[in-house]
Amino acid sequence: MTVRHRLRSLATLAFMNGVVPMRTQPLYLLNTIASPLAFLFFIDVISRGELILYGIAGGFVLTMLSIGTGLQTDMTHYKQDLKFQDLIVASPVEAPVYVAGMALSELVYALPGLLIFLVLWIDRAGAPPLGDALTVLGVLVMVWAFASALGFTLATYFEDIRETFVFSPLISLGLSTLPPVYYSAGILPAWAQPLVYLSPTTYAADLLHRAFGITQLGPYLLPAGLDWLALGAFTVALFVLAAWKARWREP
Amino acid sequence: MEEAIRARGVTRTYRSKGRETVALAGIDLTVPAGATYGLIGRNGAGKTTFIRIASTQLLPTSGSVAVLGHDAVADPRSVRNRIAVIPQESRPLYFLNVYELVYLYLKLRGMPGTEARRRTEAVLVELSLDSRRKTLVSHLSGGMRRRAMVAMVLASDAEVLFLDEPTTGLDPVARREVWSAIERAIRDRRTVLLTTHYLDEAEALSSRLALIEGGRVLLEGTPAEIRSRIPRPFRVSVQGRVTREELLPYGEVAEVRGGHLVFAREEEARELTRLALAKGFPVSMAPASLEDVFLQLVGRPIGEDDPEEEGTA
Repeated sequence: MTVRHRLRSLATLAFMNGVVPMRTQPLYLLNTIASPLAFLFFIDVISRGELILYGIAGGFVLTMLSIGTGLQTDMTHYKQDLKFQDLIVASPVEAPVYVAGMALSELVYALPGLLIFLVLWIDRAGAPPLGDALTVLGVLVMVWAFASALGFTLATYFEDIRETFVFSPLISLGLSTLPPVYYSAGILPAWAQPLVYLSPTTYAADLLHRAFGITQLGPYLLPAGLDWLALGAFTVALFVLAAWKARWREP
Repeated sequence: MEEAIRARGVTRTYRSKGRETVALAGIDLTVPAGATYGLIGRNGAGKTTFIRIASTQLLPTSGSVAVLGHDAVADPRSVRNRIAVIPQESRPLYFLNVYELVYLYLKLRGMPGTEARRRTEAVLVELSLDSRRKTLVSHLSGGMRRRAMVAMVLASDAEVLFLDEPTTGLDPVARREVWSAIERAIRDRRTVLLTTHYLDEAEALSSRLALIEGGRVLLEGTPAEIRSRIPRPFRVSVQGRVTREELLPYGEVAEVRGGHLVFAREEEARELTRLALAKGFPVSMAPASLEDVFLQLVGRPIGEDDPEEEGTA
């Protein structure tokens, strides 16, 4: 396949799985944003608006994580129930193109949520400086990338769509609510603080908190450079894991 | 003879929970280019495992498979550029309409939009799907859905098509609909590797057949060649009060409802027919069907699953 062929496949997958299904079921869009908006609502009400920027940061992260879990569910369904992945394996479409196309299609579902959080952020903090806007964009891209790699890897191992119903919420909520995404690591007891380094979303959220300028719940965890380094390392590691472990042709 | 698929010594063993199941025990097969080749056998015989290996979805435990001269194990990318597959029990993406199903599949394979549109239009007309082009595939009957999937691979530029039990679970009318779609590929002189456990289907569509049982090829050739290679190529159906012992001298006897079925050589078959007619028993004589061939060779009907292999092959 030439680069042009690959781009065509990528765009087709994104359109086919991202845009076309909404014609028959527009409510798919609400599914992605329901949880982040619910969290935001409670944080806003309980903190009387003081901690809403934490809710927005968490909303950004959770929305992007939902791409990974959506990808995991769709790919498991396509592989196990429809045998669509088998049809794709035995075609010129390569595994990275398939994953990237499917991940792009999931981004379509995340766009309304991202737009809502963007508007809320600007409403609460004013128009952000270019550096902060680029930080948020970069973090979102990294979360999208590692969530997609994780989703693909898991999807190739699941043999039943019901397994994803168990794992998807656990992974999504486990990566967004346990690590300091909706709060600052500074409020955790000392024994728990080393644990937060195990989650890539910790570094993503630390960068977002920094871009939002929020310090109500404590200091930032690491210097920004180390946050980027750690987030990048996690993303690369998950891609390597996907390439190494994920099963395209069955062994 | 130009070869489309060449398999030598292909084995595949599945391991699960400490248990080993041999799905393929050494398959040698040569599929000529431009032919429709049928793999027939019971569920679990190894047909799907072979098709998955040849179409680069599964690695063999040992052996080699070449598709259009490319090594399917070491160089899957070259193979994938030239093949298309309808996997067993596959279903189309339910949220697409018939036109989108075909068109987007072609685009996925990297075909330019203009060419994809032209091919989609042509195949929908040819397979009588044009009037349903805007219908969601989830609203189609089972036969129409499978036909739409066959349309996808037919419209592609693939030179070898793998169709894994394309009509399983369909009623006779729906099966005929799918047959007519496959016949289009035959007219195109593309290579089709078809698996089925419907022997009438294999015979109607295939120019050559391989009969697979227990992961091995038992017989290979044209349908006529396969029939000629069994020791008793005629079947005589005898109704009425005649005992099995009376029929045994003429050949192999199977009891069927209301009478007996005797597999015999031509001479014995004619003699038995004459005798039955003389006694006034209803009798018929015909060349053995592929189903009869299978029964004679394997000792069990093709519709019977192999429980040892179930779920693997």
